Amino acid sequence: MPIGPEKKAAQRDLFRGALEMMILQSLRRQPMHGYALVQHIRQRSNDLLQVEEGSLYPALQRMLKEELVKAEWEISATNRRVRTYKISARGLKHLERELSSFERMLTAINLVLSPAKG
Amino acid sequence: MSWFGQLISRRRMYADLSEEIQQHLEEKVEALMAEGMSRADAVQTARREFGNVALLEERSREVWGWPTIESLCADVSFALRQFRKSPGFTITAVLILALGVGVNSAIFSLVHHILLEPLPFPHPERLYAVWASSDAQGDSRIAASGPDFLDYNDQNRSFSNIAEMISSFTFTWTGEGEPKLVNCSSASEGLFSMLGIRPYLGRLYEPREYTYLNNDTIVVSYRFWKNQLGSDPHVVGRVIHFEDDTQTIVGVLPPMPDLFPDTDVWPKLVVRPSWSFMQWRGNKFLSVIGRVKAGITPAMAEQDLTGILRRAAGEPPDVRVRLVPLKDDLVGNVHVQLEIIMAAVALVLLVACVNVAALLLARSVKRSAEMALRVSLGAGHRRLMQQLIVEGLGLSVAACSLGILAGHFGLRLIGYLPAWRLPRVEGLHLDAAALLATAAVAIATTLFFSWVPSMTFWKLNLSSVLRRERAGGGRFQGRFFSWLVIAEIACAVVLSVSAGLLLRSFWRVQHVNPGFRPESMLTVYLRTNYYSPGGRGFWRDVLDGVAALPGVRSAALADCTPGKGAASATLLFDDRPNDPNHLPPAQGCWTSQDFFRTSGTPLIQGRFFTEADNADSPPVVIVNAETARRYWPGQNPIGKRIGVNYTGPGRTSTAAPRMREVVGIVAGIKQGTLDSPTEPAIYMPYLQDETSHDMATMSLFVRSASDPRTLANSVRTRIHAISPNQPVGDLRTMQDLMGQSLAPRRYSLLLLGAFAVLAVLLAALGTYGIVSYAASQRMQEFGVRMALGASRYSLMSHVIRNGLALTTIGAIVGASLALLANRALSQLLFQVSPLDAVSFSSAAVLLALTSIGACLPAAWRASHVDPVRALRNE
Repeated sequence: MPIGPEKKAAQRDLFRGALEMMILQSLRRQPMHGYALVQHIRQRSNDLLQVEEGSLYPALQRMLKEELVKAEWEISATNRRVRTYKISARGLKHLERELSSFERMLTAINLVLSPAKG
Repeated sequence: MSWFGQLISRRRMYADLSEEIQQHLEEKVEALMAEGMSRADAVQTARREFGNVALLEERSREVWGWPTIESLCADVSFALRQFRKSPGFTITAVLILALGVGVNSAIFSLVHHILLEPLPFPHPERLYAVWASSDAQGDSRIAASGPDFLDYNDQNRSFSNIAEMISSFTFTWTGEGEPKLVNCSSASEGLFSMLGIRPYLGRLYEPREYTYLNNDTIVVSYRFWKNQLGSDPHVVGRVIHFEDDTQTIVGVLPPMPDLFPDTDVWPKLVVRPSWSFMQWRGNKFLSVIGRVKAGITPAMAEQDLTGILRRAAGEPPDVRVRLVPLKDDLVGNVHVQLEIIMAAVALVLLVACVNVAALLLARSVKRSAEMALRVSLGAGHRRLMQQLIVEGLGLSVAACSLGILAGHFGLRLIGYLPAWRLPRVEGLHLDAAALLATAAVAIATTLFFSWVPSMTFWKLNLSSVLRRERAGGGRFQGRFFSWLVIAEIACAVVLSVSAGLLLRSFWRVQHVNPGFRPESMLTVYLRTNYYSPGGRGFWRDVLDGVAALPGVRSAALADCTPGKGAASATLLFDDRPNDPNHLPPAQGCWTSQDFFRTSGTPLIQGRFFTEADNADSPPVVIVNAETARRYWPGQNPIGKRIGVNYTGPGRTSTAAPRMREVVGIVAGIKQGTLDSPTEPAIYMPYLQDETSHDMATMSLFVRSASDPRTLANSVRTRIHAISPNQPVGDLRTMQDLMGQSLAPRRYSLLLLGAFAVLAVLLAALGTYGIVSYAASQRMQEFGVRMALGASRYSLMSHVIRNGLALTTIGAIVGASLALLANRALSQLLFQVSPLDAVSFSSAAVLLALTSIGACLPAAWRASHVDPVRALRNE
């Protein structure tokens, strides 16, 4: 399927905030490298979220730049050289803020969408 | 992390990123293989699920950088690589644009400088030259006499300041080496203050100095101070000798390139008291310049002065005063020439831009495969556009830089063409506005035609483009290219027709019979201080001395110069009533006995002057054929009697003219430029001059047996032997002089011709490029046709016919435009109709031949296509 530039851009924008939250939330549990992150998000969402694997990396770079996460090269359990991401103090704070505002929004949307009471 | 740290660790970071992504893919492949997939399938699946690696990597990198700047740098280096890879395209495009920009900015600067830039005086819009005009006298540019000016000065209510001046006469400068003629302009009190001119050194004249006639102080021009006085900083107080007068330099004027730049010294012009020749109402030779008061319109001022002039005695009842903006008056009539040249040069720019547009479009079609590939690899629209625009900018920047250089040197070159005598050329420089405007056109064209193709790349489908690369193009492009060819040819036709008309006019002018033989003829302007019959001895000595020189056939004196100018006179007849307000005009000239023999002018009837026509004999006159035709139609003028009112400058008597007998009729001498009509003219022996004016200045004419230039030195020596203090200025051949009068025509022809050649060449190049391109797109078709039995000849003629069809449309469009354009040109034409069939048809033939020539290479390739290879590509 040919993907026009507009469609691609829309997709990226839609997932931007959400993807960041999911990544930070996953990293709060435990530090992970990129591949593991993808697997983790996929499993936790019961394969409902078909994230394009590669789109993880621009997001990770962005968060590195904003110092929400830190990265270090390590040797994995499978004896592979991997770059492991950890959430930073600043990342934690950012995640809290984002989550609460996301939840507020979700509640609001729910209120609007739920059948009217009386 | 500081941005500086980022800058250093950037490379490291990018390496990490690439490795990380690589690891990710490998881990995924291993996982997939563990699920039982083959390696090849696993690699493919991993890649598909990961997404566009290159694009995602780039996007990740963008997070760190200044993406615009970085991608810009990449684009610039890519563009440079592209230019290096196709030097033919690059050089052609850059040169064509540079030429367009250079020529245009130079000519626009010239025109702007001469025609548009205001005079460098305060409130230049309120400065006017004052002229009178009278339809009854057929003269729209009547100068003022001394009394006219005094009336204006005393009675006007519209001017805050008004001054009179004599703008070009000469003084003899003696006492320092060989005597020299210096150019003088003389102005009455008020001119310098009116124009806000302050002295460069010393002071200007004081009001006290305008109250007496004696010239004891002098103000010199910057040019004279620099060139003749060696920029002497202590020049104030220096004594120099003009006209046997001793004068003290009191000041040096600043450079004034706009106001009579040839002037060496500026003697004062005293109005009260005044010289006697300034006191006659009819002696109209003064220029008047005024500054109108704020709030007064030119029309009001004209009405004011017209009323004043009409109150004076002896003025024609229909006399009117006209105000001409001072700038227009100083610039004169070059504006027609300049405007036409400007239009021509704009057409050249148009052709250049069309050419570059065609080049860019053809190239973009050639690159459609590359572009389709880049689109399918994930290049964004903006990104692709950015790259194309960077390439376009690169081209235009290179072209504009070259163009600025070309314009700068072109302008220098124009400044070095002194014979053109353009006004205000001093201080000519490349004008920033002109340059910006032209560069903007060039850049806009390049960018637009770089950008247009990027709109179509989106619709490209990689596989189809790669498969049918050769068949690309499409109908839209084909039609668009055709329009480009038509536009180019039309512009080239307009320019060629115009150049052809000018060329034919020039040829006609050159073959005008001037009424004298300019070859083997030498002339020199002699200015003396003899204002009385005492000068006759000097003139006789000069005539006798020069005529006796070896190699001299004959010598003569006259106060007019054929091909250059003559004074004006009015005629009185004794066989009819004379209306003093409508005296018929004629050119008047005082000559020595051998004038017509020396000039080689044929006698039609009667006789030439003889030795017997001297001061003591009854006065005689010789008229030209035009005088006879106009004033004695159907009669024999020989023996008729006329009086000649000599109205030229310097007349020193107001007595009624004597009646003279017409003794001869000569052929018409062109007294003005060759392209002006032959006017009635009358010639009189200078020994019978009752006004004495001619004693001061005469031109000497020498007819030589061989090359006249070899005589120059002996003539000069002989005159100095007679009078050591006599300045002998420019000894010139008459042919030189005639050439100079043709100079404006020659330069407009040269420039327009050069532009026409340029346009034709560019049109040829454009046609060649577009036809070749179109043919190359159809090579398979030609191969098929050939395989089906088409002959080489029919293929060739097919290609040429296509080219010629476009040329024909272009020529028709161009010819129609030329018909419109030539109305403007008609002022520069001479005995050639603006509809001249020869010019039109030769332009059409020229363009047809050019376009056939331009189509030939493509036609040749088309007819020699190898059908087997062409079909294999299918």
